[in-house]
Amino acid sequence: MELQLGLALPTPNMLKGFDLNNHGLDQLKEMGGLEAWNKAAGCFADKDCVKSKRSFEQAFGNFTEECRTKPLLLWSGQPNEEEDHKDQKKATFSTTDENDAEEDDQVVGWPPIKTWRKKIFQQQQQPRVGRAENNRVAENENGRSIYVKVKMEGVAITRKIDIKVYHSYQSLTNSLITMFTKDKKCNEDDYILTYQDKEGDWLIAGDIPWQNFVTSVQRMEIVKNWG
Amino acid sequence: MQKEMAYSFPDEVLKHVFSFIQSDKDRNAVSLVCKSWYEIERWCRRKVFIGNCYAVSPRMVIRRFPEVRSIELKGKPHFADFNLVPDGWGGYVLQWIAEMAGAYPWLGEIRLKRMVVTDESLELIAKSFKNFKVLVLFSCEGFSTDGLAAIAASCKNLRELDLRESEVDDLSGHWLAQFPETCTSLVSLNISCLGSDEVSFSALERLVDRCPNLRSLQLNRAVTLDKIANILRRAPQLVDFGTGNYAAELQPDVFSNLAGAFSSCKELKSLSGFWDVVPAYLPALYSICPRLTSLNLSYATIQSPDLIKLVSHCPRLQRLLVLDYVEDSGLEELASSCKDLQELRVFPSDPFGVEPNVSLTEQGLVAVSLGCPKLQSVLYFCRRMSNAALVTIAQNCPNLTRFRLCIIEPKTPDYLTLDPLDAGFGAIVEHCKDLRRLSLSGLLTDHVFEYIGTYGKKLEMLSVAFAGDSDLGLHHVLSGCESLRKLEIRDCPFGDKALLANAAKLETMRSLWMSSCAVSFGACKLLGQKMPKLNVEVIDETEPPDSRPESYPVDKLYIYKSVAGPRFDMPPFVWSMDEAVKILH
Repeated sequence: MELQLGLALPTPNMLKGFDLNNHGLDQLKEMGGLEAWNKAAGCFADKDCVKSKRSFEQAFGNFTEECRTKPLLLWSGQPNEEEDHKDQKKATFSTTDENDAEEDDQVVGWPPIKTWRKKIFQQQQQPRVGRAENNRVAENENGRSIYVKVKMEGVAITRKIDIKVYHSYQSLTNSLITMFTKDKKCNEDDYILTYQDKEGDWLIAGDIPWQNFVTSVQRMEIVKNWG
Repeated sequence: MQKEMAYSFPDEVLKHVFSFIQSDKDRNAVSLVCKSWYEIERWCRRKVFIGNCYAVSPRMVIRRFPEVRSIELKGKPHFADFNLVPDGWGGYVLQWIAEMAGAYPWLGEIRLKRMVVTDESLELIAKSFKNFKVLVLFSCEGFSTDGLAAIAASCKNLRELDLRESEVDDLSGHWLAQFPETCTSLVSLNISCLGSDEVSFSALERLVDRCPNLRSLQLNRAVTLDKIANILRRAPQLVDFGTGNYAAELQPDVFSNLAGAFSSCKELKSLSGFWDVVPAYLPALYSICPRLTSLNLSYATIQSPDLIKLVSHCPRLQRLLVLDYVEDSGLEELASSCKDLQELRVFPSDPFGVEPNVSLTEQGLVAVSLGCPKLQSVLYFCRRMSNAALVTIAQNCPNLTRFRLCIIEPKTPDYLTLDPLDAGFGAIVEHCKDLRRLSLSGLLTDHVFEYIGTYGKKLEMLSVAFAGDSDLGLHHVLSGCESLRKLEIRDCPFGDKALLANAAKLETMRSLWMSSCAVSFGACKLLGQKMPKLNVEVIDETEPPDSRPESYPVDKLYIYKSVAGPRFDMPPFVWSMDEAVKILH
């Protein structure tokens, strides 16, 4: 699609100044990262800098009167080139993200969640250092929440529940049944709830008093009852 | 002899007529009719709303409107909520308060959003305005409980004290005790943001006791569940209530006490709070659920089954805020139970996890769009989306006015076809003709902006991240969206061309934010020089922008219209592109 707009500008200069296709892309592909983006923008812009500046000033001399009815630039959109350089631009921006992201692999301000909400999450779940190691995901200082991973045989999603919310095995299993039967239609009796204790042993849930269970459970798994 | 209509009524009559005109737009129109109407109107305008505190100076406001009783000010750009605006950027309210203290002795209402409010400002408010009634500090910071103590002690007729989402330096809970025994006028009190465990609960109880008009009360997390019943019994007239901590060992007498207290509140329509909720205590709410129109469970880490049970008791629900623990199944239940639903917000429980921890997908939102015909406002965090789903949602909900979708991983394509989500969002803007606010996410090319420019004629606010291919995208938006007031963009390949080609458009908008894009320092300077009605500010915390070539992209750019000229309180990392201001600090 071509965009035909008003006043004249020496188009070739303009486009040369900003057309990554011809100049910086190969360099960008090799280098990657924000520095490369800046360098590329800098290197070919230097050549054309003075020319471009004059072009803008020429345009702006006329534009205040014309602005509402006639936008300024003579510009043809570059839909054909979009496809080509889209991938490269994507690559640039994702490497930018990786450079921005520090210890947490996070981009600043993304996802867009207000700071105080993030604090609530952090109070409820400590950030995971190693995903595989930390099954007992977070324990709050005041003992307000204890998050434990629960996996069910045959179900892809591993859920995390707050053990502190329950006061008995019955309430725990009721909740787990309701949660997991959405993912996998099954008969309750075919499954048993097992857990891993502090020593790393896998045991069947229900043998020890509830309070002891709460302090020793590391993670849980719902497995088929072969017995 | 011909008399102009304007002179055929005495001023007092016109003043009386104007007093029925409340909206700012209408008032502004009235003031343009003729000079005498302008004069009469400006003397009787009582309420002023300033969407950007730097767009105008306090002196200018006071000069034009000498008898204001209520003022609302907004400071930092919206992206400050997500840590994109460095500390110390600005938005200080002190100068406003100082000037209004002299000019508006009868000022009764101050509402601030995203501003820096110091204890000094609060003390000045307490000292200066004898008839002070309403203080709303929405997402503000910079003050402590000492400042609140000054307000409590001095404002004899305080009706509203609302600190929602503000950051308060919590030095002591005793400020609550500063409300004199003679203060009985409170209608609304929101202290949900206060962190300390030292809220003086007995002072709070006594305050609630002596304020018979208290309609809205939001407690903070420090208030434990066993105390809720006491408060509710003292305030059965409450319409809007925010619990504190909703956790305790399940005890039958505590439960029945709580249930009884809730059932005595016949007017209760809106609930929030529910920190650390224990699901076993949720049934205590069942007696009031049939009347509930608004429910904020967004701090509650309860799972889908308990959420489903609760929501199924609330057929009149119009507004629901919830974590993604609700899952698709919970949203399906919502869709079948709550036909009056107008607003839905689903927040992520594990935003930084790489893998999904809950079964919440686009299906949940589709279900709600199908079951809730009155749906107008959506904020939805999820991990996958498809064009087909968005098209369905658009067709089911043509009355959407606010649609904010956040697919957590940037640039995620349609999970079914791997296409960009252009067509889906295009359908949203095409079908939802009254759409005023839109936030985009996922993989998006310039095409989505073409749709937005073509169809988004009523769009006032647009948020864009990790989207687009070229300046054409930005050009579509700036040239097509006639009602656009606020545009915020981050991490998009938009450069100088579209911005300069549409420079005049910026004068019709409140503000433009661009960060991690490709706008060059040279272009910013040019805009600053050529557009005197705009303040063009470059933010860079690492080094001055003129220490690099002019073609280098700036880190962050904030452009807003202003009649006050460049501001005087810029920190070292903010550079004004105004010709009159020295670039080097």
